[in-house]
Amino acid sequence: MPELRLSMTKEARTVLTDLLRLIAPAAARVSVNRARVPEGDPEVAAFWTETLTAQASEEARLLAAAFAQAKGDPAVIVLRNEAQAHAFLRALSAVRLALRDLVFPDITDADLEAAGELDDESLPTEKRHALACYTCFGLLQQSLILQLDPEAFE
Amino acid sequence: MAKPKIKPEIKTETVVAPAPQWNVVVLNDPINFMGYVVVAFVSVLRISNGEAKKLMRLVHEEGRATVWTGDRERAELLALELQQWHLSAILEADA
Repeated sequence: MPELRLSMTKEARTVLTDLLRLIAPAAARVSVNRARVPEGDPEVAAFWTETLTAQASEEARLLAAAFAQAKGDPAVIVLRNEAQAHAFLRALSAVRLALRDLVFPDITDADLEAAGELDDESLPTEKRHALACYTCFGLLQQSLILQLDPEAFE
Repeated sequence: MAKPKIKPEIKTETVVAPAPQWNVVVLNDPINFMGYVVVAFVSVLRISNGEAKKLMRLVHEEGRATVWTGDRERAELLALELQQWHLSAILEADA
């Protein structure tokens, strides 16, 4: 598989990197809290929690490293194989879930699905900023998915 | 006259109950894109892209879909892997 590339402007990279610094530790926690760990078997539950915690931490590291290494303008993140691409997709999903749970739990699912169009000036600046980042992370995910499967959204 | 004692013949047979089956069910969520769910299904369930799309549509339209049925151990593993993709995957005993 040829390497996959994600491009963004230098400004976008800076903004997203800053947000990631804030949200990444929480993203790991949210990802574990959201998990539906099976009840009734403490050993299985412990294994799940341990596995999800380890993965969430790894994802946070992966995102931080990828954005830190994306230099230039446009800033380009290069993913060398499918495993890296999948890990990156999961990491972006974790961040979007964390933003949803922690920053805008009050926004309805329907509004959130059209987050790109949601630019309500009555929202606090931080929330609008987080929504813009949420949309950007989604665009990066979509770009990556389309590179993996050009017919994914048909 | 005493009646002859007849010992009733009792046959026993061991019947092995089939192992209970477990469903791995994925619930709809408003965060993950449809294409993302397809990539996750192909990767975790090792199914074709077409099958993954069918399952994804079921999740999207019905709110949930059973994506795999079988023994508990494997079901647990698949549910965990789907949760590693941040999908809302749960285990349910097959009725």
